[in-house]
Amino acid sequence: MNAMNTLPKYIVTLCDGPTCMHQRSKTLKAVIEEELKKRGLYETTSLVLSGCLGMCNKSPIVIVNPGYTIYGGVSPEDIPEIVEEHLVKGKPVARLAIEEDYLYNRFYRVFGDVAFFGQQMRIALRNCGIMDPESLDDYLSLRGYEALAKVLTDMSPAQVISEVKKSGLRGRGGAGFLTGLKWENTARQKSDEKFVICNADEGDPGAFMDRSTIEGDPHTVIEGMIIGGYAIGAHRGFVYIRAEYPLAIRRLRKAIDEARREGLLGTTILDSAFSFDIEIKLGAGAFVCGEETALIHSIEGRRGMPRPRPPYPSQKGLWGRPTLINNVETWANIPVIVLDGADWFTTIGTEKSKGTKVFALAGNVQNTGLVEVPMGTTLREIIYDIGGGIPDNKKFKAVQTGGPSGGCLPEQYLDTRVDYESLQAAGSIMGSGGMIVMDEGVCMVNIAKFFLEFTQNESCGKCTPCREGTKRMLEILQRITKGEGIEGDIEKLERLGTMISKASLCGLGQSAPNPVLSTLRHFRAEYEEHIKNKRCPAGTCVDLLSYTITDGCVGCGLCRKKCPVGAISGEPKQRHVIDQAACINCGQCYAACKFNAIQKS
Amino acid sequence: MSLPLEIIKKKRAEAINRIIGRGFLSTKRVYVGMATCEIAAGSKEVMNAFREAIQTGLTDVYLTQKGCAGRCNLEPTVEIVEEGKIPIKYGRVTREKVREIVERHLKKGEVIEEWVIK
Ligand SMILES: Cc1cc2nc3c(=O)[nH]c(=O)nc-3n(C[C@H](O)[C@H](O)[C@H](O)COP(=O)(O)O)c2cc1C
Repeated sequence: MNAMNTLPKYIVTLCDGPTCMHQRSKTLKAVIEEELKKRGLYETTSLVLSGCLGMCNKSPIVIVNPGYTIYGGVSPEDIPEIVEEHLVKGKPVARLAIEEDYLYNRFYRVFGDVAFFGQQMRIALRNCGIMDPESLDDYLSLRGYEALAKVLTDMSPAQVISEVKKSGLRGRGGAGFLTGLKWENTARQKSDEKFVICNADEGDPGAFMDRSTIEGDPHTVIEGMIIGGYAIGAHRGFVYIRAEYPLAIRRLRKAIDEARREGLLGTTILDSAFSFDIEIKLGAGAFVCGEETALIHSIEGRRGMPRPRPPYPSQKGLWGRPTLINNVETWANIPVIVLDGADWFTTIGTEKSKGTKVFALAGNVQNTGLVEVPMGTTLREIIYDIGGGIPDNKKFKAVQTGGPSGGCLPEQYLDTRVDYESLQAAGSIMGSGGMIVMDEGVCMVNIAKFFLEFTQNESCGKCTPCREGTKRMLEILQRITKGEGIEGDIEKLERLGTMISKASLCGLGQSAPNPVLSTLRHFRAEYEEHIKNKRCPAGTCVDLLSYTITDGCVGCGLCRKKCPVGAISGEPKQRHVIDQAACINCGQCYAACKFNAIQKS
Repeated sequence: MSLPLEIIKKKRAEAINRIIGRGFLSTKRVYVGMATCEIAAGSKEVMNAFREAIQTGLTDVYLTQKGCAGRCNLEPTVEIVEEGKIPIKYGRVTREKVREIVERHLKKGEVIEEWVIK
């Protein structure tokens, strides 16, 4: 890529996904560079290699901006013509242009030239950031509700289910169950009534994928749900969303009202024989209420506590009726599967994990934000190519996926591909899409403690392993981080963790020990250091730190003024001292010192 | 009775007409991020500043809100899309920056490079 000091006049994007690479996109790049130089356009053109653009059957792919023309099957011989006609004369080469109006990746037209976005592929988030989410007109103009119309016109419920099955789509709410199979199981049940639920509880701390989807494109979720209702024979749907999402709720409500007014929701949708309506149910924000059986209890007006499965909601769900429950992101994929086709959808992702996944990238990473990538993208590509790496020249230490139910992976796992199986094999999980990057300054014992505090707090208390077990584990972790760890604590944590995983009633307890078990697996030495030497190598566990003032002190007195407990004394222009007995290890002196004269150990 | 697919095509055509009626074909389209995250970063002020500019004489601009594109630490974000040009994406926009974007970019066509997300 040629370095750009000023904004480019042209952007030429080359697909560098696996298929295009195979089709020698690198050679093509060299040919384009050569041609640009020959025409004196090299300095004003930005040449970008993108991630897979999802048009593998027309590889190699080249996109030229301005104009946003997608060229397919481009050979080196075509390059002079593209440069001459499109770049120089501003006339796209019709002969090579792909005209198909795909639903996915619509955001690319506006954002694709920025590296953070250019490496992504967007299916669920395709409309987020490019249209007014409060305008049904905007959604309709982007082929909104066409998938629903197609289904109602051309497809039987069985055909819809078969298409979703063929797509290989798996649930994005965490467990990764095959969506088509779930639809089939629910459709098969005989019942006077069936229900559809959208799980928008999104309880993972730090996750905001579902909120952004609903706030950015509420109609896509509604459209997905209506199609689901048609497929299984349901006429009522519920969106279970936490009350802490007021804007998402408002937009969803508005979208439902407008869809009803336009005859897209309600009785005889689009003049067909099918009727379906959606209600919003507000959750109070308990993590366990995201678990499907607890969620169903909550909608029924009962306490949000899980129950053993089977029977699964597909058999006995809301008010005892067969119920199809899917996550927001899962629903948002449905219109794309219907219009762009299951055959296309299966070309994206890995053998067992098809399509894309949205992640909320956060923590010690340059570019934080929402990232949607094809399954099979590596953690390294997400953190470095999209995330821009670790800020402040610090070293990467670990990445946490799957939120409080997931695990921490160290550097040697950076080439792990994000798909359900690979992440599990590495000792973490896909989860609903939290991804927290941690640099060398983060203590793994402390992180494990943080997540366990969360799950322990959110445990509903129904089953003993989760209620009591997580409490005991947390006590041990609290001791260790205070410097009171004892020989045998690690083994006890492992024993307790394994027991809780095996014996808990629902996914909350079954996965609660994961952050501890995975850090024990990958960062055992750090635990040992805390226990045996009462040291926190990352320097974050407050009780294991001590601050001392070195010879570098000039006696400016700033630390003395900053100290909230008056533990620092000294005459002006003379070396100060910290009274270790009075010091509370808050670190304010360390942060304030302009001469690096305070040592943390 | 028409088929659902025919009805939806008609609805789309009508929707597009209404959008055009609201000024979509103006020379410049301005998208202001208005999701929870964007609003927390101050995008309501940014939206208001653009609205005021239009009330006080800025013309040929189609102003609209949008959802979150996902670039958290550069919010509030604003895109300026113009046919035949590369879409410009501004990050960390403030009321003060809007004033300059209006004067320099929207009125004179000058892209303010140091604020562009690359
Ligand atoms: C403790 C716990 C919390 C959960 N929270 C959520 C959630 O917030 N959102 C969600 O979609 N699924 C959540 N799930 C998963 C649901 O039980 C269920 O598997 C999912 O909604 C099914 O939809 P999917 O197949 O589309 O993923 C949670 C599960 C557990 C055990």
